[in-house]
Amino acid sequence: MGVDAFETTINVAKMFVIFLMMVQAVPVLVWLERRGSAFIQNRFGPNRVGPLGLMQLLADAVKFLFKEEFLPKKAVAFLYYAAPVIALVPGALALASIPLGPPIEVAAFEMLGRQMGPYVFKLQGYDIGIGIVFILGVSSLGAYGLLMAGWGSASKYSLLGALRASAQMISYELALSLSLVGILLVYGTFNFYEIIAQQQGPLRFMFWGKENVISWLPNWGVFFNPVGMILFAASTFAEANRLPFDLPEAEGELVAGFHTEYGGFKMLMFFIGEYGHMIVASALLATFYFGGYGIPFVSPANIETFFHAQGFGLTAASALTALVSHLALLVKVALFLWVFIWVRWTLPRFRYDQLMDLGWKSMLPWALANVVVTAVWLLVANTK
Amino acid sequence: MLELADYTFYFLAALVLISGIAVITAQNPIFSALWLALTMIGVAGIFVSLDAWFVAGVQLIVYAGAVMVLFVMVIMLFDLRHEIHAFSRGILSGFLKLASAGIVLGLIVGTVYRSAETVFAPPPVETDKMADVTKALANTLFTKYIFSFEVIGVLLLVIAIGAVTLSRIRGGTHASHD
Amino acid sequence: MPAMTEALLKVSLNHYLVLSAILFTLGMLGVLLRKNVIVILMSIELMLNAVNITFIAFSRYSGNIDGQVMVFFVMTIAAAEAAVGLALAVLIFKRFKEVNIRYFEHLRG
Repeated sequence: MGVDAFETTINVAKMFVIFLMMVQAVPVLVWLERRGSAFIQNRFGPNRVGPLGLMQLLADAVKFLFKEEFLPKKAVAFLYYAAPVIALVPGALALASIPLGPPIEVAAFEMLGRQMGPYVFKLQGYDIGIGIVFILGVSSLGAYGLLMAGWGSASKYSLLGALRASAQMISYELALSLSLVGILLVYGTFNFYEIIAQQQGPLRFMFWGKENVISWLPNWGVFFNPVGMILFAASTFAEANRLPFDLPEAEGELVAGFHTEYGGFKMLMFFIGEYGHMIVASALLATFYFGGYGIPFVSPANIETFFHAQGFGLTAASALTALVSHLALLVKVALFLWVFIWVRWTLPRFRYDQLMDLGWKSMLPWALANVVVTAVWLLVANTK
Repeated sequence: MLELADYTFYFLAALVLISGIAVITAQNPIFSALWLALTMIGVAGIFVSLDAWFVAGVQLIVYAGAVMVLFVMVIMLFDLRHEIHAFSRGILSGFLKLASAGIVLGLIVGTVYRSAETVFAPPPVETDKMADVTKALANTLFTKYIFSFEVIGVLLLVIAIGAVTLSRIRGGTHASHD
Repeated sequence: MPAMTEALLKVSLNHYLVLSAILFTLGMLGVLLRKNVIVILMSIELMLNAVNITFIAFSRYSGNIDGQVMVFFVMTIAAAEAAVGLALAVLIFKRFKEVNIRYFEHLRG
């Protein structure tokens, strides 16, 4: 944690801020989803409340808060009330371990007559050395919230939705984990900071022990592992229960799947969980395959020298660098979130057996082949 | 002087033991399974307190993420709500079973506390060497234990074939079609 | 006296071993006392977890990584055992509409 009270306070505050970031992004995403779907389907969408319908979010939140509280007959009260909270946990835990920008260096300063610092604050909830394994571990806990909701609300539709969800999550987790093995092989580390640091600068790769540089392409993971990127993106759609893989809540067959019996704020919490999954998935896509918080061709050190040259001090220059890099990450995340929404309103839903066939008979073999091909390629590339 | 690490251990141990007791006493199997999932998470925490980060992650992925979800799924499929005879009957046999479990526990704990020395200080591991521990783990697994690794792979293949065969046997509601 | 209590409370290898022993006994009690096949399988998982704690604790306190490798093997076996056990339980349930352990008498090779 921290050495003194100041550092500990900041580090704890950081976790709250990151959790609130996730929660605050959800209303914006809901608005984007509704306006985006309207744009795609050539209608207007919410445009009455406030400019561009932006106040609709506030109105919706108030509506959700004041809805009637109820417990279905025969429901198991503990599971019914605990499930929405548990659905929030994996997204929040995973997001907190993704670096959102380069570390901020704070020079020594004096506060309340005491000498403080120097400090280095990471723009991240907590730094876990085995980042990738941790993310996979907590996201695999996501099935429990769905299962508890499905069982606890004592409804056939909910139960069917929950069963579908758990089977789907187990199946697609395999493809998800295996698609990340390619990235592990290329970068040789579990640590997000090291993965991002290796993606700076122009595209450089080894071939027969000779280094080649392609100066007009950034050094991103997607050029080393394109198949892995596609597999990862596709399986995150399944993990987040988004169309075309939203079988757990297929409204044509199961009313609303595992959250059929939920209303009001509890339902909103499932929404936040789902959008949290999307945000984590987009941030991970950016981190593994698109350079994370790095701006193409510009390294964080360059930005910091630029701000130094403008006459900023060490702390200010470092903070501004972190801000600019964080904005770069936000742009990438926003792009991927738009892809999530775009796909949802473009592709039709799979049938359940097609979904399972795709997971086990296509994506798993492709992911395995990707691992083997990457390993062979690395061997060839580094042989002199 | 007790440190933060000691309190963490006691918290995790309490979590593991309470949820472990709940697993074997819960009347409804679904609560057993959910408590067991909590036990697994607590055990992962204990692995972290022993600096085995990678194993803790694998514990979360394999146990809490896959095995326990499988259990919960099967129980939900059966729709087992209440069990009338959750525990085995018979007062004498029940007493014998409790006594034998007590004897086992007493033997282990007695042996542990009569052991020659109490190991307090583990050899130091710097936290930034976490990646190195994972690398050392992989090196040991794929050199010294490569044969066991291959055997485990064959075992998994056999198990997969066995599970598929079992699930293809028709019975119960399908019996009339045989 | 406080010094002695503190020496007892200070976490050492013994604490992990005792925790593991208690967890193992709990699993054993579950296997002995419960009649539901699935709960018995879960109790076996408890026992395997207790063994894993012992492995990791010894590996940490002796500075030897081999214990962690053993934990991988134990986890693999546990997952395999759960898969086959659950497949058997599903079969038993299909035939008898209950998963009581006494129906396993009807197993034939």
